[in-house]
Amino acid sequence: MGTIRVEHLARVEGHGGITVELEGGAVRRVQFDIFEGARLLEGLVRGRSYEDVSPILSRICAICSVAHALTSIKATEKAFGVRVSPQTELLRDLLFLGESIESHALHLFFLAVPDYLDYPSAVALAADKPGAVQLGLRLKKLGNLIQETIGGRAVHPVNAVPGGFGRLPSLDQLITLRQALRQGVADCGATLDLMASLPPAEFCHAQTVFAALLAGEDYSYYRGDQVAVLSNGAREIIAAAAYRSLTNETPAPHSHAKHSCYWGRPFMVGALARLTARRDVLNCRATEALERLHLVLPSDNPVDNNKAQAVELVADVERALALAERLLKEGLAEERGVPVVPRAGTGTAVTEAPRGLLFHSYTYDEQGRVLAADVITPTALNAASIEDHFRHAVRQNAGSEPAALARKLEMIARAYDPCISCSVHLVRQGDAT
Amino acid sequence: MTKPRVGIFGLTGCAGDQLVILNCEDQLLDLVGALDIRDFLMASSANDTECPLEVALVEGAVLSRRDEEHLLRIRERSQLLVAMGTCAVWGGVAAMDREVDRAALLADIYGPAGAGYDTTPARALHEVVPVDLHLSGCPIEKEQVLGAVANLLNGDLPAFPDIPVCAECRMAEHNCLLIEKGAVCCGPLTVAGCQARCPELRIPCVGCRGPASDASIASALAMFGERGIPREAIAAKLRTFAPVNGH
Repeated sequence: MGTIRVEHLARVEGHGGITVELEGGAVRRVQFDIFEGARLLEGLVRGRSYEDVSPILSRICAICSVAHALTSIKATEKAFGVRVSPQTELLRDLLFLGESIESHALHLFFLAVPDYLDYPSAVALAADKPGAVQLGLRLKKLGNLIQETIGGRAVHPVNAVPGGFGRLPSLDQLITLRQALRQGVADCGATLDLMASLPPAEFCHAQTVFAALLAGEDYSYYRGDQVAVLSNGAREIIAAAAYRSLTNETPAPHSHAKHSCYWGRPFMVGALARLTARRDVLNCRATEALERLHLVLPSDNPVDNNKAQAVELVADVERALALAERLLKEGLAEERGVPVVPRAGTGTAVTEAPRGLLFHSYTYDEQGRVLAADVITPTALNAASIEDHFRHAVRQNAGSEPAALARKLEMIARAYDPCISCSVHLVRQGDAT
Repeated sequence: MTKPRVGIFGLTGCAGDQLVILNCEDQLLDLVGALDIRDFLMASSANDTECPLEVALVEGAVLSRRDEEHLLRIRERSQLLVAMGTCAVWGGVAAMDREVDRAALLADIYGPAGAGYDTTPARALHEVVPVDLHLSGCPIEKEQVLGAVANLLNGDLPAFPDIPVCAECRMAEHNCLLIEKGAVCCGPLTVAGCQARCPELRIPCVGCRGPASDASIASALAMFGERGIPREAIAAKLRTFAPVNGH
């Protein structure tokens, strides 16, 4: 019997590790350990006013802070029956795109690509391939520029509030943004060149269940209320309000993230799941990028999530440019947010954070104070699937040296783009259906 | 000149302050050239976890025995320990309502499994080890961290203004949300350095940077009182991000 351990997984956000125990040729135990401290934030917002909720819960995670802030606001608006203007929705779409561009660029260039080229970090990679790292930095900066322009800050946006925005971007800011996005289009081509040149990562194959938000004709990360679960050609739809049937969680002793299964099977969320669920609404950039990277959907290789992020990155820049052009052409109406009047009730919102489905669900009293809050994060949803893919990889690479196998497992975990700060979240025990 | 050995660490938090460092896109390659970054788990898989360090930048709060042991080890090997971000300096959002019964909350959330989890009430770094420099902000501002590194490279300890956000807000001639709208704005009591980001956007300051020691507390409280804002409302806001007593 042998044990493979990755004590502290590097190049991810948060604190996690990997443990695999083998007995003879068989896998006895596989664990994606999560030992990030539990902050109990959902418990701590109880009793707070609705205005405080989004600033507090965005602090669950920095890299997904736009997703947390806007999902929080969407849930609060649903609870109060607030309908925001179409302009507000467009700006929220753009803000989400900024986060996705920044997050995908950070993950691809700084966390994932060094694996393929056998470097410990992007800094080490920069010594030999400065162009690749500078490319990643430019795209990251582009995503941050969008977040600063619309959200008022690159990390933990401050400008988005229930009802709308504090201040709208100026014409000058939008023109600067459009210019930067035009330059970003060229960088997207170079990104695909780089991704296409990477050596293949084919060491884990397994039929995978995917779950992603549907957003109609659009590839929006923000809109929509229905989640598709794709399994072996079948497709089931779950409404946001019934999210508990998807996130049926059980606490695991080795992890502060709870494990989610759908009909007893783990499922994967994130870029690969989104592309698979939304194949019908991909723009032509995305379709070209899929072909360029030889990414065939549905994929049975979880490491393809890296390619899927590259496809989204290219499509995101294109969509953000189209949105900026539209806002400039139509002009921004100088509107204040719609009035927000608290009422008693529950609101559940679902969006797509860069690393997958994100749910926020709140119950308020008539004064708009929180009675209960529940947040389900993508990495918590993915935890069971990560372990499942570890199990397949261990079986499929039985001849690998332990160190080489450990590296493969690390690559699988990293491909999920796990956000471990996010995954440690509170789920009220008795609520699970 | 030999480059200072630096470690960048995250305890429990959102990793936002480490992200701000990585968000210095225009300076990042110069920054990593000027420093000898030995230990930075979020960005590298080749880390020296034992070597002595001239500077340790630590973000997050202490929320577990594991965090505490990690921080003690960092302190042992570091000449200068910098608390980076509001969680490290003031406890941050996880430390609000520290008196809440954690065991009950854990049991409520995780069921019987929660009893075995390694979790302790949130503490700021200075409650566990001596801290040499505090960089507050949720997250820290880029200019703060770049300025601090430049100062440290020159052998100086950086000094940051201790004036309130209000001062920066007035310098920028933004409309006052407190006086004109009666909004619960924490600007008069919160430490500056953000260029009044939120009031500029017509969003009241939530106090995410922690208190300013050079604030005129009596006149601020009088101003809140005149606008009918109860003292408890302000206190609750300030406790959200900076619940831990001064360092």
